[in-house]
Amino acid sequence: MSPITLIALIVGIPAILLLVYIFVRGSTGLRRYILTRIGLTLPMVFILATLVFFVLRVLPGDPVRSALGPKGTPEMIARIRTQLGLNDPMIVQYGRFLGDMVTLHFGNSLTGGHRPIIDEMSERFPATLELVIPASILALVVGIYGGTLAAARRKKTLDYSLRIYSVVIYSLPIFWLGLMLQLLFGVQLNWLPISGRIDPVIGTTIKHITNLYAVDALITGNWPAFLSVAQHLILPTFTLGLILSGVFVRMTRINVIETLQADYISAARARGIREHVLVYGHALKNAMIPVITLIGLQVAILLAGAVLTETVFSWPGMGSYLVERISARDYTAVQSVITVFALLVALISLAVDVIYSMVDPRVRY
Amino acid sequence: MTEIKQHPPETPAEDTSWEAEIQRVGFIRRILMARRWYGADWWFVSISAVMVVGFIVVALFPGLFAPYSPDALVGPRFLAPGQHPEIPILIVPQDSSITSLKDMAAPEGQIQPSIAVVQGVPTAGALNEQAQAIDNQIKNEPEGLRLRPRIERFTSLEETLQAVVDGKAQAAVVQSTEFERVSAQFPTLREGTSITGQTATAGGFILGTNDIGQDVLSRLLWGTRVAIIIGFSASIVALVLGVPLGLLAGFIGGSFDRLLSLVMDSLYAFPGLILAIAITAVLGPSILNVIVAISVLYIPTYYRIVRGQTLSVKEEIYVEAAQSIGARSLEILRLYIFPNVIPSVAIIFSVNVADAILTGAGLSFLGLGLPPTIADWGIDLARGQRFIQTAWWMITFPGLAIMLIVLAFSMMGEGLTEIFNPKLRER
Repeated sequence: MSPITLIALIVGIPAILLLVYIFVRGSTGLRRYILTRIGLTLPMVFILATLVFFVLRVLPGDPVRSALGPKGTPEMIARIRTQLGLNDPMIVQYGRFLGDMVTLHFGNSLTGGHRPIIDEMSERFPATLELVIPASILALVVGIYGGTLAAARRKKTLDYSLRIYSVVIYSLPIFWLGLMLQLLFGVQLNWLPISGRIDPVIGTTIKHITNLYAVDALITGNWPAFLSVAQHLILPTFTLGLILSGVFVRMTRINVIETLQADYISAARARGIREHVLVYGHALKNAMIPVITLIGLQVAILLAGAVLTETVFSWPGMGSYLVERISARDYTAVQSVITVFALLVALISLAVDVIYSMVDPRVRY
Repeated sequence: MTEIKQHPPETPAEDTSWEAEIQRVGFIRRILMARRWYGADWWFVSISAVMVVGFIVVALFPGLFAPYSPDALVGPRFLAPGQHPEIPILIVPQDSSITSLKDMAAPEGQIQPSIAVVQGVPTAGALNEQAQAIDNQIKNEPEGLRLRPRIERFTSLEETLQAVVDGKAQAAVVQSTEFERVSAQFPTLREGTSITGQTATAGGFILGTNDIGQDVLSRLLWGTRVAIIIGFSASIVALVLGVPLGLLAGFIGGSFDRLLSLVMDSLYAFPGLILAIAITAVLGPSILNVIVAISVLYIPTYYRIVRGQTLSVKEEIYVEAAQSIGARSLEILRLYIFPNVIPSVAIIFSVNVADAILTGAGLSFLGLGLPPTIADWGIDLARGQRFIQTAWWMITFPGLAIMLIVLAFSMMGEGLTEIFNPKLRER
């Protein structure tokens, strides 16, 4: 079983089970909402796919000619064009493109080793997951805790510093933050490695099961490998996580402040409930609802940030794969990667909305 | 016009007379009156406006501020900030009247001065060339001076300098840093200028030089131009397309609105940088293509805000009144709805320029978008990353510049938000 199917099963089966559970147990309104939301995801996927198709096929530029470079003879170009079906009418190509997307049929690389793209992705995609998941957790922890802290200490020094933090973090180019962390912790202090997922020597000892190196090392009890993976993860995780945390600090702060002004909080305060419990117990829970929506919106920033972070840290994930394939002018691979990104965006925003509707019963269509 | 407000003010005790006034004035007066009306601080806007204007001035006239051309190879490679390059300088006795090579010229026919150099180092060649150049320059002048120094070679640095002390040569030419090392041993000697006439401490580079000897500061200043061009053009194109679409969708409504909103929402949800990567990869590297790619990303931002505002303004009584007296749709859009969306558009525009600059820098950092020869911060950062072990200044300063320019524009957006949406002020 290839790692990518394994991951799809690990993530997909619980997700589907959860969805079914929510659907069966939920009220009629919730059921209707989930159905409508799924119904809306399909056109979104369709539009994104059309966009990708438009950008890659309709815009001027001949992918085959640029892939072959100056050594491509007209016959070779013609042969590969026929092979890829680029000579067919646009509408036929479009239909085939949509069909390939639904069946996840990506074909082979146009240049380089001509490997099946799905094989490449089953190596690259877990690497991106391994980076994106801890980074999101870091961003949420820093963001929600920092935002609540700022709201609780409103108009105090801590509040102002956290507000400045969120503005400055927003203005930082993510790749520059990565470079600065590399410079400080990798080059000057020499504490942490600055590139790759794992030490190349230790890397040979790892057994590839899910291709999530941390998980693989844990399952097989390969402690040196786990340590190396963890060390390599620190800088990229902080780069991506800190950049994302700025928005969460800001949003959590605004929402907690707003909730703290609500009548029920005043009532609770009048009953003599301690301020600490008020902020963290009563206000935070309600303030979290809009923040969940924000998580959905941040997926785009997360993925774009992952592309840059991976490039800075030579992290062999989907983002660096995309950039590599673009410089290799490998257009089938580029198209596949972007399609996968589009699918991911659509699915995650569906998931976030469903969770949101479960948390906040007011949301219904 | 009487003010009819849909929602009563939340705290009736507060003086809210400005809320009525604010509906009646234009964009500029709102900024100016904000302080008087509701005490909105505009120092935030002022600081960021000064920064923004500063960046724009640098972008318009980078040549005035930059000491060198961005592409010129002006110094040694990898020179750290403030470090002086190795230049050949003139060493003369303390009591000598000579300070530069030109002072050593003697009248035609008289004995030419002798200059001591260390054997086997390239200073002698440089000295010869420079002396020749000066000679060519002065030989046609009425004073009749010539400069054809005799070059005496010595085996070591110490011997060379000793020759000047002993009077065997009028001056010596050695590398500036070498003289600094041994200057304590030769208290009777002092530094003159370099052989090209600069002082020994000149020729440093404030922010250092890069891997091929270009001045980092000059490239930084010229890079402002690229950033500003990309930021402004992309945001303007997005605005020109996004605002009318949003107005129309909000005003017409129905299936046109639903379809367009679906497209825009999908575009909005998609990671912008990845779409821009795809577009520039297909179109090829050029500044125009970068602008096209980035402006596509930001159309939905304008669309969403403008549409939302149009929807709410459409319900206002004055629009209804205009409709009932038979005003044409276009007129209602132009006279009643459009002026209401200008403030939000100004806010988004400011934030958008910041975003576009960030995305543009990201693109060129990835090696896409801009031709590699252009002076751009993203390109310089990508280049500096290869030398992270040796040249920290190559990656530090361009990134700092991006941060500052983005900070300036986003702070301005923030300040404008505070002025235009006083209700958000307390947040």
